Amino acid sequence: MKKTLLTMVSMLLVTGMLAGCGNSDKVNSANGGEKANSGDKVYKIAYIARAQSDSFAAWLANAVKEEAKKYPDIKLEVFDGQANDDKENSMIENAITNKFDLVIVQPNNGEAQRPYVEKVIKDGKFAITTNARITGIEGASSVDADPYEQAGVNARAALDQIPQNAKVVVLNGPSGNFHADKRRESWQKEFFDKRPDVQIVGEQIANWNKDEAMKYMEDWVQANDKIDAVISMNDNMAAGAVEAVKDNSKFDGMLAYGVDGTLEAFQLIKEGKMTSTCLQNAFELAEKLLDTSSKLLTGAEKQVDTDIGNPLITKDNVDEYIALLEKAEALK
Amino acid sequence: MKEINWSQFWSTFKKTYSIYLVLLALFIVCSFANPNFLSVNNLTNISTQLAVTTILAFGQTLLIISGMLDLSQGSVLALSGVFAVSAYKATGSFTVAIITGIMTGIVCNILNAVMVSTFKTPPFIATLAMLTMARGVALLFTKGQNILQLGDFTVLGQGSIGFVPIPVIFLIIFAVITWYILRHTKFGRSLFAVGGNEEAAVASGINVHKVKYTAFIINGIFVGMAGILFMSRVNAGLPNGAINYEFTALTAAIIGGTSFSGGIGSAGGTLAGAFIVGFLDNIMNLTNVDSYMQQIIRGAIIALAVIYDIRSKNRRTKSTLGRIEDKGSRRKGKGKGITESHK
Amino acid sequence: MEQEIKLRVSQIEKSFPGVKALDKIDFTVKKGSVHVLCGENGAGKSTLMKIINGIHQPDGGQIFIDEQPVRIGNPIQARNLGISMIFQELNVVPEMTVEENLFLGNLPGKRFGNVDWKEVRRRTTELLKAENLPYSPTTLLKDLTVSDIQMLEIMKAISYKSDIIIMDEPTSAITHEEVEKLFIKIRELKARGVCIIYISHKLDEIFQIADEITVFRDGTVVESHPKEELDIETVISLMVGRKLTNTYPKEAVEIGDTLLKVEKLCGAGGYKDVSFYVRKGEMIGFAGLVGAGRTEVMRSLFGLDPILSGQVYMKGQEVNIRSVEQSIRNGMVMLSEDRRRYGIIPMRSVRENTTLSSLQKVFFRFRYQRKNEHSLVSEMFSKMRVKTPSMETVIASLSGGNQQKVVLAKWMLLNPDVLILDEPTRGIDVGAKYEIYKLMTELVKEGKVVIMVSSELPELIGMCDRIYVMAKGTITGELSRQEFTQEQIMKYATGTTTS
Repeated sequence: MKKTLLTMVSMLLVTGMLAGCGNSDKVNSANGGEKANSGDKVYKIAYIARAQSDSFAAWLANAVKEEAKKYPDIKLEVFDGQANDDKENSMIENAITNKFDLVIVQPNNGEAQRPYVEKVIKDGKFAITTNARITGIEGASSVDADPYEQAGVNARAALDQIPQNAKVVVLNGPSGNFHADKRRESWQKEFFDKRPDVQIVGEQIANWNKDEAMKYMEDWVQANDKIDAVISMNDNMAAGAVEAVKDNSKFDGMLAYGVDGTLEAFQLIKEGKMTSTCLQNAFELAEKLLDTSSKLLTGAEKQVDTDIGNPLITKDNVDEYIALLEKAEALK
Repeated sequence: MKEINWSQFWSTFKKTYSIYLVLLALFIVCSFANPNFLSVNNLTNISTQLAVTTILAFGQTLLIISGMLDLSQGSVLALSGVFAVSAYKATGSFTVAIITGIMTGIVCNILNAVMVSTFKTPPFIATLAMLTMARGVALLFTKGQNILQLGDFTVLGQGSIGFVPIPVIFLIIFAVITWYILRHTKFGRSLFAVGGNEEAAVASGINVHKVKYTAFIINGIFVGMAGILFMSRVNAGLPNGAINYEFTALTAAIIGGTSFSGGIGSAGGTLAGAFIVGFLDNIMNLTNVDSYMQQIIRGAIIALAVIYDIRSKNRRTKSTLGRIEDKGSRRKGKGKGITESHK
Repeated sequence: MEQEIKLRVSQIEKSFPGVKALDKIDFTVKKGSVHVLCGENGAGKSTLMKIINGIHQPDGGQIFIDEQPVRIGNPIQARNLGISMIFQELNVVPEMTVEENLFLGNLPGKRFGNVDWKEVRRRTTELLKAENLPYSPTTLLKDLTVSDIQMLEIMKAISYKSDIIIMDEPTSAITHEEVEKLFIKIRELKARGVCIIYISHKLDEIFQIADEITVFRDGTVVESHPKEELDIETVISLMVGRKLTNTYPKEAVEIGDTLLKVEKLCGAGGYKDVSFYVRKGEMIGFAGLVGAGRTEVMRSLFGLDPILSGQVYMKGQEVNIRSVEQSIRNGMVMLSEDRRRYGIIPMRSVRENTTLSSLQKVFFRFRYQRKNEHSLVSEMFSKMRVKTPSMETVIASLSGGNQQKVVLAKWMLLNPDVLILDEPTRGIDVGAKYEIYKLMTELVKEGKVVIMVSSELPELIGMCDRIYVMAKGTITGELSRQEFTQEQIMKYATGTTTS
C-alpha cells in the first residue's frame, strides 16, 4: 500500500517536473529558434518491469535505464510491477493518464496485461511488450528473445552430445509459465522426438528454484544408478541438480543443460560441470527496446516485432560472457 | 483394583502413539514400493533433505502449542541466510556467520512478538507482515541476485561427520532441544497452558507476555540456523529461497498431531509428521509420480490429519460444556439491561 | 388417584470406557406429574436422560412409552415419540432470531424446498401470543435472557406436541423471579397432562415442584418416592450415601492479628473506596447483588485488573499488586467464579492443571521432576478427595465438582495465606459442596484467611465470621456473625438502609 502510494506520489512529481521541463523547452525554442529542430520534443517512456525482485527483470530494467541515457530526446521512467498482475495493470493505466508517449511492458502474465496494453494503443500511444511478448495486439510492437530458440540451441547441441540409450532427468519451470512451456516444447520437438532411444527417468516441476531442483535430483540419484544428462529449463535448477551430485564420482561425466545465462551457470560451465546454456542478453534486449522506441516515436516505423539473438554458451566461449555479466554487475 | 482396562489402555496408546504407527506403516509400504527406498543412502538423503523444514517445524510446534504460528519463517530464513552468507564471505568466520544468521532470526521474531504480544495483533496477520518485510529486506540487500561462491561455507549443509551428514546432526540437536523445552522446562509447560486457555494461564500466575516473547525468540534461533543450513546446502545465498517453507513446516507439525487450537503437541509427533511427509515425497519421486499428482496427494494428507485432529479433540472434550455457558451468563447480563429498558 | 404410567425404563445399562455409568436402572414416570431426579454429578441422571432422548444408546434394557416398547435411535426419533429435552447449556445460535430458532430443523417448506417465511412468522406470532411472551419473532436470541430462551425452548417442545419434557438443571443460571415464572409454566404443563422429568441440585426448589423424587447414586437408583415421604435431609443422605451431620461444617477458630487490610481501594471495575480487613483464622463473606462490584474488587486484589488508587497491606506491610504473579508471591490466590474461563486448561491432564501455579516445584535442577509432581498431585488429590480415573485424565472430562477441586488443589499447593473464593460452589453437587466447605474450615484452622464471594446467602451465613455487603461498587454494610440474617443482608444489598 505504502509502496503504491510512494510510486503514485513520485509519478506525480515526475510528471510535474517533466511538464516544467517541457515548458522551459518551449520558452527556449521561442527565444532561440536554433535548437528548435533537434530539441523541440522530449519523449516520455514508461518502462513497467515485471518485478524488481526477479533477478533477470532487475538486470533488464537496469540495462534499459542505462541504454536510455544514450538517447537525449528520451526520458525513461521505470516502474515495478511487484510480480502482481493488479499492480502491474494499474501502473499501465497510470502511464496512460500521465501521458507517457510510449509504454514498455514486461508482463507478469501476458494474458492479464493484454487488455491494458490494448488500452495504451487505443489511447493513441505506442506500446512495446518484451520478455515475454504478448502476441497479436494490433498496433503494439514487441522485442523478445524466443524461448523456443533459447532451449532449441541447447537441444540441437545435445543431439550429438547425449549418448545412445541415455537416461535423463527433466526439470521444469512452473506450469502455465510462457517461457517454461515453450522451452519444454522446444526440447520435446528438437530433441526427444528425434531421439526415441533416450529415456526420461524423472521429470518434475522445480519452479525455477535451486533448492527444489536439488532435492529432486537427490531422490533421483537414489533411484537410478546412472543419469547421463540433466535437462533443465533454467540455469538455477540445473545448478541445483549439479550441486546434488557434486561430490558423487559416479556422476562425473554427467551433462547438464540450462537456459538464461546466469553467472553461476557460466562458472559451472567453466569448471566443466555444466554443458551449455543460452544467454538471454538483457543488454541486447535493452538496446533493441530503445532502438525500437526511437523508431516508433520519430515515426520511422509503425510496428516492429523483433527478436534478439540466442547465443549458445559453452566452455569455448564462456569467458567472453563472464566479462559481459561483470559489466552488468557494475551497473548496479 | 489394579485391573487393566484394555479398552482404556488402547485408547491412551492410540492417542499417544498412533502417529508413530502411521510412520511405521508408511515406512513398510515404501520399502515394498521401491527397492531403493530402504538403502542407507536414501534414508540419509531423506533426513538431510528434511533437516531445514523440520527445524522450522519445531519452531512452529512451539508456537502452535502456545496458540500462535509463524508465517514469516520462509522469508526470515532467506534473510538470515543471505546475511549469514555475506558475513561469511566478508570475514571467513563460521562463528560470525552463525551469530549473524541467528541474530537476524531473533530480531525478526522479536518484532513478531512485539506485534503479537504487546500490540495484540493476531499472529496470522503479524507474521504475514513480517513475511513480506523480511523478503523485501533480503531482496534489497542482494539486489535480487544470488550470492555465489560460498567456498567452505558449504560444509555445514553438505559435509558429514563420520557417516552422518551435518544437517542431520543439527536436526537431531534441534529435536532434542524441542523435546527438552516441552518436557523439561517450566517454559514448556507454560506454553501448553497459554495455548490451552490464555485467560486461565494469566489467572494462574503465568507471565504470558514472557512466554510469548520467549517462544518467538526460540523460533527465531531455529529459523536463523535453518537459514544457515539452507544456504550452505544449496551453495548460494538465495534471497528468493525457501518460499513457502513455513507451510511445509506447518504441515509437518499438524500431521504430527499439534493441535491448531493450541495446547497440544510434541517434538516426537512433529518429527514423525515431518518424516511422514518426507517419506511420501521421496517415494513419489523414486517412483516418478507426476508433479500434479504429488500436490493432490500432499493436500489430501493434510486434510486427513486435520480431520483426525478435530475428531480426536471432539472426543476429548465432548463432556465439556465449552464456552457455551460463558455466553449464557454474558447473555443473561446483557438481557437484563434490555428487559429493564422494556419496563 | 391412580395415574397411568407414561414412561417406563427397565433394566437400562450403559458403560463408557472405564466407567459403568448406569447399572440396571428401573424407573417410571406418571402422566401429568413432575418427576425430579437428583444425585451428585456423575451419578448417572444425565446419562439416563440422554438415553431417553436418543443421544446415547443403552447397552441393555428396554424403554416403554405408554407401555409400548420403543427404540429411540436419535433425538429426532425421540421428538416424534413426544420427548423433548431442554438442556442445561441452551444450545442456541446467538445471532439467530426467535422465529428461526423456533423452527430450526422443522422449517415449513414450500413446493420447491424454499422456506415459507410467512408461515414461520405467522406461527411464531401465534405461539408467542398464546404463551404471552413479550418479544417479537425477529428478536435476536443474544438479546434475550437465559430465562426467555428457556421459555422459548419450552414453547418449542410444546409446538412439537411433546408430552414428556426433560429439563436438565433449568434454574442454574436464572434469577429468583425467573424461577417462579418457570414453575408456573411447569404447573401449567402438568395440568395439560405433560409429564416433566426435572434434574436439579437445588433441594429447596425440588420440594416446591416435585411430585415424585428419584435419587441416583453411582449409576443406580437408590430410592424413588412421592415427595411427601421425603425431606431434604433424607434426600441429601441418600445422594451422598452417608449422613451429613451438618450442611455447613463451621468450627470455632481462634482469631488472630489482621492479615490483610485493604484501604480506600478504587479500581477499573467501577468500585470505589472499598476498605475491609481480615484477621488470621477468619472467614469473611462478600454479599451483594450481581453487578455490585464484588468480583471486580477481588480481581483487582489478585492482580487481574488494575487498581486505580488505595492501599493493600499484607501482615502490616504495604504491597504493590500489578500482576497475578505478584499476588501469588504475596500469598494470595483466587478461585474464579468462571471456572471454564479462568480456572482450567481444558485439554490438559488433571496433573498438569494441578501443578500449573507451582511449576518451580516440578521443574528444577534443569529437568522435569516426574516423581515430585506425581507425589504432590496424589497427595493433594487424596486430601481434597478428587475423583478422577487417573492423573492423566483430561480435566474437561471430569465433573464440575471435581474440576473445582482440582483448581482448589492447584492453589493449595502454593500454601497461600489468603484464599479468595468467588462463587466456589456454583454448579457443583451437594457432596462436593460439603467437601469444599470442610476444606475452607481446615484452612482457617491453619491460621489462613478465606474470603468468599457468594450469591447464596445460606452458605455465607453458614460459613462466615463476618459479612461485608456491597451495592453499586461500595461496601454498604458489615455484619458480624450474631447479626446475620438474610433480611438484613438484602437490605444492605439493595441499598434500602444506610449504615
